[in-house]
Amino acid sequence: MTNKANGKVHLWAFLQGIGFFPGGWRMKNAAPERVFTREYYEHLARTLEAACFDAIVFGDQLQGRDAAGRVPGRLAAPTLDPFTLLAVMGGVTERVGLVATVSTTYSEPAEVAAKFAALNYVSNGRAGWNIVTSAHPNTPWNFGEEELLEKSLRYNRAASFVKAAQHSWNAAAGEGQGGFKDKWFDVAGSLPMPTSPQKRPVLVQAGQSEDGREFAADCAEAIFCPAPTIEAGQAYRNDLRARAVQHGRNPDDLIIMPGLAFVLGDTEAEAQEKHREVLELADVSLCIEYLSESIGYDLTVHDPDAPIPLEAITASCEFPAGMVAAMLKPSVEAGRTLGEHCRDYATKPRGHAIFVGTPEQMADRIETWVDAGACDGFTLQPGFMPQELELFCAKVVPILQDRGVLRSAYQGPLLRDHLGLVSA
Amino acid sequence: MKLSLSLDIAAWGEGGEPIAAFRERAALIDRAAPDFVILAREDEAGSLTPPMLEALVDSAWITGVLKRSCVVAGLPGLHALPFHVSRALSAVDFLSGGRSGWMPLTGDLSRFDTAYGTNLAGVDAAEMNARLDDFIRATWALWDSWDDDALVLNKESGEYLDSTKVRRVGYEGPFFKTMGPLNAARPPQGYPVLLRDADAVTASTIAADVAIGSSEALAAADAAIKLLKVDTSSDQALDGALAAVAAGTFDGVHLYGPRTIEVLGTLDRSPTQAGESARQALGLAHPVNTYAEGAAK
Repeated sequence: MTNKANGKVHLWAFLQGIGFFPGGWRMKNAAPERVFTREYYEHLARTLEAACFDAIVFGDQLQGRDAAGRVPGRLAAPTLDPFTLLAVMGGVTERVGLVATVSTTYSEPAEVAAKFAALNYVSNGRAGWNIVTSAHPNTPWNFGEEELLEKSLRYNRAASFVKAAQHSWNAAAGEGQGGFKDKWFDVAGSLPMPTSPQKRPVLVQAGQSEDGREFAADCAEAIFCPAPTIEAGQAYRNDLRARAVQHGRNPDDLIIMPGLAFVLGDTEAEAQEKHREVLELADVSLCIEYLSESIGYDLTVHDPDAPIPLEAITASCEFPAGMVAAMLKPSVEAGRTLGEHCRDYATKPRGHAIFVGTPEQMADRIETWVDAGACDGFTLQPGFMPQELELFCAKVVPILQDRGVLRSAYQGPLLRDHLGLVSA
Repeated sequence: MKLSLSLDIAAWGEGGEPIAAFRERAALIDRAAPDFVILAREDEAGSLTPPMLEALVDSAWITGVLKRSCVVAGLPGLHALPFHVSRALSAVDFLSGGRSGWMPLTGDLSRFDTAYGTNLAGVDAAEMNARLDDFIRATWALWDSWDDDALVLNKESGEYLDSTKVRRVGYEGPFFKTMGPLNAARPPQGYPVLLRDADAVTASTIAADVAIGSSEALAAADAAIKLLKVDTSSDQALDGALAAVAAGTFDGVHLYGPRTIEVLGTLDRSPTQAGESARQALGLAHPVNTYAEGAAK
C-alpha cells in the first residue's frame, strides 16, 4: 500500500455468478447458463488478472434459498462452492488473489485448514479467507442442529477456530505440532498438509456489529463492509484502525474494502437507462420472492396489491419475528402494498452503495473516497455479469492506471504482496 | 481394459515450484488418459487413505490439467460432512463436464481423529460401517434435493428454475440429519461416480459404481466395475493381472507403486469410448432421483 508502484487503490471483485441486481440474469446480453461452465470462470479470472485486481472474492451461504420450503423460481441461485470456483480460477492465473468465504460455525478447523492449504498450494500462495459465522436460521438444519448458535458465541468460536487453523498452517511450515485446546476445540495435532510461499491465507472479515468489529480488529487483515456515504466510510475506517491499535497492531495491516455495486455507460444517460432496465427486469413476482427469502416466509401466496400481511408473516417467518416486524414496519404504517414494498426492497440489494455513471466519474469516485480516508479501495460488485465487469476492466482500470493510483503490473506473487500488508 | 491410479501431488514434495513440476508429469498422465485418477495417498500395499492435498479443492484444480479422466476425490469417509461434500462435488461435476468421482476412505483413522478431536477409531466395526453408509446416503439425498431438469433459465419469461423441482429432503439417518435443499444443482452425472477400496476393513454395504482391490476382496465386492490392484514394481504381478483382465475376470487394473506412471505409458489398450460424462463413458446408468415427484421410493 505504501509502495508507490503498487498503487494506492485496492480493487477486489466480488462475484455473485450473475451479478449484483436480482434481475441481472435477464439482461439481453446476460448468459446465465455460462455460470455452470469452467470457461466462464476461467475467462473472468484472466480478465481480472489482466486488470491487476488484488483479488477475486466469492460470498457463500450454507443453505438453499427457499422460504419456508418454497424455492424461488425467478431468482438466480447459482451459488457454486467458492473453493471449487477459486481453484479453477487459480489454475489459469498466476497472480490474482483468491478469497473464499467460509463459515466457522458449521465446519471443523482441520477441514477448513486443509482446504485453504490446498488452495494456497495450487495457487502458489494466493489464498484468502473471508471469515463468516453464518446468520441464517435455516443453516443449522443442514448440519443436524435445530438452532443457530447465539451471535457472540459464534464470534467466540470463530476466534478459536482461526487460532486452531493457524496452528495447522504453522505445523505444515514446520513450526509446532498443530495441537490446540480451548473451550471449543481439543485437538492433539493437525493433518499433514502442504505449505506454500504464503504460509497461510490472508484473513478477511465481513462483520458490522460490535462483535464483528472486535473480531476484525483482532485478526483480520482486510474488511469487506457496506459504506453508503463517504462520511460513513471514514467513521468506519477510523474506528477499525483505532481498534487495531488497541489490539497492538499496525493499523496499516488492516485494509478497509467497502462494497460498491456499479452500472457503467459512456454517458450518464446511458448508464441511468441500463440501471432502469435492470431494475425493471426484477418484476414484482421476482421481488416478492426476494423478500420472501430474506425473512423466511413464503409471500407468493399473498396478493401483491393488498397491504403487507404483517400478522401472518410474523406468526410463522423463519427469521426472528421481531427483526422482521421492525424491517417491515415503516411500509406497513405508510399503507404500502406488498408489491410496492418488495419492488423497493429489491432495488438496493444488501445495503451496498450503488454507483451509476461514466467510467471517468467512477474513477473519480474511487480516488476521492480513498484520498478522503473513507477506504483503501473497493470490493466491486458488477451490476450484472459479465458485461459490467468487462466494461470496468476495459474503461475504468486504464483511467486509474493513467492517474498512477492503480498498479499496471503486480509487484509480487502473493496475495499479501498485493495488499501491501506490512507485517508477516 | 479400464485403468486407474492414485495421485497425491503435494506428497511428491518437489520443492521450489511443485505445481510447475507437476504440470509436466501431468502431461504424461493426461496422454495415457487413465479412466480414473484417484486423489488419495497410497501405501506400499496399495491401500488408499485421503491425500495430503485436500481432495475437493484438488479435484477442482486438477480437472483443468487432466482433461480426460474421471477425477476421484479421496475423502475422509467418517469425518467429512455430507453438506460440504455434496455442495463441492456438484460444482466440480459441472465445471469438469461430468468427470467427477468420490471415494469415501476409512484407513488411517487416527490421523483424522487426532486433527478433529474425535475417537472414531475406537467405535466398533458395525457402527463404522453404518456411519459410512449414512454419510453416502445423506450426500445422495442432498443431490436429490434438485431434479435433473430443475433449471429453466428462460430470460424472456423470467423463469430461472421450476420451483416444484427443488425441495427440502429432510434426510434423517442414524448419524446424519440434513434438511436441504442443497444450494447447488444436482450434478450433471446425477451422482458423481462412487468408488470403493474393497480391501478396506470398514466397508459400506451400499453398492459402488467401481471397486478396486485384491482378487479375493473384489470377488465379494458389490460394484458394477471391478479393477484389480496391481503392484507395478513387479513385472510378474502386472502380467498376471493383465491376463486376468484379458480373461474377463476383472474390468481393468488399478496401478500402484513407484513405477505406476512409467507403466501407464506402456500399456496397450483401447481407451474407453468418449462420452459426455464419466458415467456415460463407463456405461453406468444415470442415478434415479428417489425424491423426485413420481419416483419409485
